[in-house]
Amino acid sequence: MQSGVFHTNYAKDMQLRPTWVMRARLVLLIAFLVIFPFVASVYWLNLANQIMLFSITAVGLNLLIGFTGQISIGHAAFVALGAYTAALLSTRLNIPFPLDVPFAMIVAGLVGLIFGLPSARLKGLYLAIATLAAQEIVLWFLKHLDLFVPNVGESISLVPTWAHEQFLSTRARADFNYYWVILFFLSLVVIFSVNLVRSRVGRAFVAVRDQDIAAQVIGVDVNRTKLIAFMVSSMIAGLSGALIAHYRGIVNWERFTVDTSVAVLSMLIIGGLGRVSGSIYGAIFVTVLPALLTQFGLLFRDILPDVNRIIPYVQQGAFGLAIIFFLIKEPEGIAKMWKDVKDYFRLWPFSY
Amino acid sequence: MKSITQISSVIAATSVVLAACSGGGSTGSNEPIKVGAIYDLTGATSDIGQFGAKGTTAYFEWKNANGGIGGRKIDFKSADYEYKVPKAEELYTQFVTQDKAIVFIGWGTGDTEALRPKITADKVPFVSASYAATLANPKETPYNFLVAPSYSDQLVIAQQYALDQWKKDGKSGQPKFAYLINNSPFGKSPVEAGKAHAKANGLAEPLEVPSQGPTADHTPQLTQIKDYGATHVFLQNVPSPPSKTLKDAKTLGLIGKVQFVCLNYCAHELTIKLAGDAAEGLWGIIPFSIDADGAKVPLEYAKSKGINIAGGESGYVQGWYAAAIIMEGVERTVKANKPLTGENIKASMEGLKDFATGGVTQPITFTDTDHRGTRSTRMGRVAGGKWVTEPALLKSSLP
Repeated sequence: MQSGVFHTNYAKDMQLRPTWVMRARLVLLIAFLVIFPFVASVYWLNLANQIMLFSITAVGLNLLIGFTGQISIGHAAFVALGAYTAALLSTRLNIPFPLDVPFAMIVAGLVGLIFGLPSARLKGLYLAIATLAAQEIVLWFLKHLDLFVPNVGESISLVPTWAHEQFLSTRARADFNYYWVILFFLSLVVIFSVNLVRSRVGRAFVAVRDQDIAAQVIGVDVNRTKLIAFMVSSMIAGLSGALIAHYRGIVNWERFTVDTSVAVLSMLIIGGLGRVSGSIYGAIFVTVLPALLTQFGLLFRDILPDVNRIIPYVQQGAFGLAIIFFLIKEPEGIAKMWKDVKDYFRLWPFSY
Repeated sequence: MKSITQISSVIAATSVVLAACSGGGSTGSNEPIKVGAIYDLTGATSDIGQFGAKGTTAYFEWKNANGGIGGRKIDFKSADYEYKVPKAEELYTQFVTQDKAIVFIGWGTGDTEALRPKITADKVPFVSASYAATLANPKETPYNFLVAPSYSDQLVIAQQYALDQWKKDGKSGQPKFAYLINNSPFGKSPVEAGKAHAKANGLAEPLEVPSQGPTADHTPQLTQIKDYGATHVFLQNVPSPPSKTLKDAKTLGLIGKVQFVCLNYCAHELTIKLAGDAAEGLWGIIPFSIDADGAKVPLEYAKSKGINIAGGESGYVQGWYAAAIIMEGVERTVKANKPLTGENIKASMEGLKDFATGGVTQPITFTDTDHRGTRSTRMGRVAGGKWVTEPALLKSSLP
């Protein structure tokens, strides 16, 4: 019996999934993701899409907060920029769906870069407030978009383009079809992020997070690294925004308020900062918990009408409780809990 | 092992829910009629949202207790959506796409706007508490119906009222308007129509100021309005923020010098309750009258069932009639022996002509070119801590 995982050469050391258990889990996960849309009801499909869209944003934000240690509480602004860019390009210039996504990412990334500049001078709470300002400035701009773009109403409706007609077909099947689109982009983002944090740039991220002065001493360009982190995470947020715009068919800034930024932040805390998988666990938890509570209320609406009346307040309380619970019990989040479970079984029955 | 127990309990809960959700099916002749609704019980507009929720729920309970629609019960599902767009989408998907609700009762402007593409694709007649004019054009939103004058109509009516009053009082010069609005699509909705009306009447361009929340200090906004020299301030908001505005205005000595005018969501009992005597002399648009005969049934039902609606009677009656009006469309479809499809209910709704709501609203008429149920309303003034509605019926000059 092996007493641990040991590598005998560098190639093995670099493997993302060195053991057969890990590979088997990956196969199971892929099988689940492929089968899920065929068995799930529309309600759960919609929820799954929402989770995946949040996951994309959260993975991006995790690169910034979890890996580089730069706190941002205005990330929804970059999602909004992506969504508005995609919506404007598709309605005004008739650029079809797959092509406007990179533009949305570039716009969000560049603006993220600009709002990342204060990170050269500001740290911790001060930077957090600066990013909050970014949120407000971007939202102000979007609220007053009619000053810059003629004839923009309160919301931008996306007329179905050829992509919808040909491939994504009618809106009735949108949840099913977009499941695949969003899953594809989420997979790309996850593969990209997991590999990025193992690269030179990713190591620099972690060095800046853990001790920026030490990082500078060993030759990491701290400002450049911070800016890269800001830009990459904003680009990923922009991608999520572009997908939201096309999936929902309408863009309205009310979706991207500071509440959304805080929700994504809480996903990171609950899921686990500094772990790519943690962002996804967090997105699942934060989306599914209130949904389950609502379902619970609906289930008992005839038997116990009072439960239905109390549920909304329980829902809000439960969210706060979850965050406090994780901060006290497991600051490293669900990702760490899952790791503990795996470690337990790895050494079972002779754990020490 | 805490984690394992947690995971397994989540899985258990999930499977229970999945089992519960897998119901649904076709609509036979005696099957219940499915209706979905979302409420704001804990979100940004919950101060009035809770009363609207009580009204809508009470209507369906009352309707079922009185035999339902053509002998069919109404299967009514609702949940709180916290005034959040994604949550509204989630619940809409559940109630409409999955549970096959045939009509839907929504709430806010933002979420109704966000659901527009889905509503149109799903062909679900939809009535919300949002009276944004953008939802009234059947060419763009064929399944949205407004049961009150649009916010744009309301603002135009209120401005015309202010102009007429100005002349009546024999004041010289011209009034100057300012808008203090909820910082959202809901708040901004009527601004453009209002500015156009002011321009057409040769007035200076009105000042547009976004309102603070109910707990903040409103002095900066009021100072801005004062410096601009506004004579009338139009408030497009839910009751809590304007109440604070009025209190701060009283402290600044503006009450009496500047006339504050509420559109329908601020013209509410709650505004008076929260603002106290600072609300005296306030004007407001009153599209839902609680003194009318039609309000007796809802109010008596609330009394008999012990539903607490103190301080929110008009919101309660509004929630009741929003449901009643769309269910009238359903009832007419059932009576005509037509299948309950979105198209048929829409056609029945568009056949409503001068449908009487016992004076609670003006008679409701929908056509295939206009989904504003009415363009007329009354104004009220706060006197002695109560809204006193004026008899004159005012009609919007908007086409």
